[in-house]
Amino acid sequence: MRLGEPAKMQAAINITPLVDVVLVLLIIFMVMAPRMMRKGPEVPLPHTAKPSDQGDERGRVLVTMDSTGGIWIDDQQVPPERFAEGLIAAVGDEPDPKIVIKGDARLKIGDVRAAMLAIEAAGFPGVGLIAKPNSDKAGGE
Amino acid sequence: MQLNGGTLGSDLQSEINITPLVDVVLVLLIIFMVVVPLMLQGYDIDIPRASTETVPEEAEMTQVVLMIGATACQMLVPPAGEGLPADCRVDLDNQEIPVADLPKRVGELLGARPPEQRVLFLATDDRLNYEGVLRIVDLAKSGVEDLRIEFITAD
Repeated sequence: MRLGEPAKMQAAINITPLVDVVLVLLIIFMVMAPRMMRKGPEVPLPHTAKPSDQGDERGRVLVTMDSTGGIWIDDQQVPPERFAEGLIAAVGDEPDPKIVIKGDARLKIGDVRAAMLAIEAAGFPGVGLIAKPNSDKAGGE
Repeated sequence: MQLNGGTLGSDLQSEINITPLVDVVLVLLIIFMVVVPLMLQGYDIDIPRASTETVPEEAEMTQVVLMIGATACQMLVPPAGEGLPADCRVDLDNQEIPVADLPKRVGELLGARPPEQRVLFLATDDRLNYEGVLRIVDLAKSGVEDLRIEFITAD
């Protein structure tokens, strides 16, 4: 089609916007995928009335505790005796780390207390305990 | 308006082309749909530093301690449903109260303080269920804004 010629019916679909959108989605998933992988196993979380937001994942170190006493730091399972060094390694040189514990709802508070003692001993002043709002009936995680 | 818009002889296009706007908005929508499940919710708990210094007497006077015992509140397995067992009793500031009264009592004890001094010390029996304790923490936090929880971890 030359300029100046009266327009003909355009038979091909213009796929440029589609390609734009798909490329942007591709980039988003490339960025998100490594972060989404960095989490431990799914555990049934405690359900409570009104948990508050725990911020985004920058500087977050996720400690997962399952009902059999297994402990994961991010996606790495660590034996309890090496928990503190694993924690310090996971934090690295993060300027403002935040430790969050994703504990199985069936745990005893004593198990969580032991983990919090170890976290305090490793030099971190607080933790976030992850819960699900009651309204969120999505089950496991 | 013709499909190939730019050709000479086409009419002046008077409407704004909103297609790119819709594209961008849809992509943003998808981004947020992906990000929202990654948000975690929970409770911030401080851990008091283990210290050998004795607490000044004055500070000790004003500390409000919530103690949850395994006999007064028999919650050794995850509580059924959404609430707490009706017969659960907790010890707040050395007074045993039914757990349902907790938000009201916490509000009375700490509501008058400036927000940075609203601290509740929490001591629990190790045998209690984690989910049950979190629900009690949730109840206490619903009693007063900006409540800080200090979990007494020392043996």
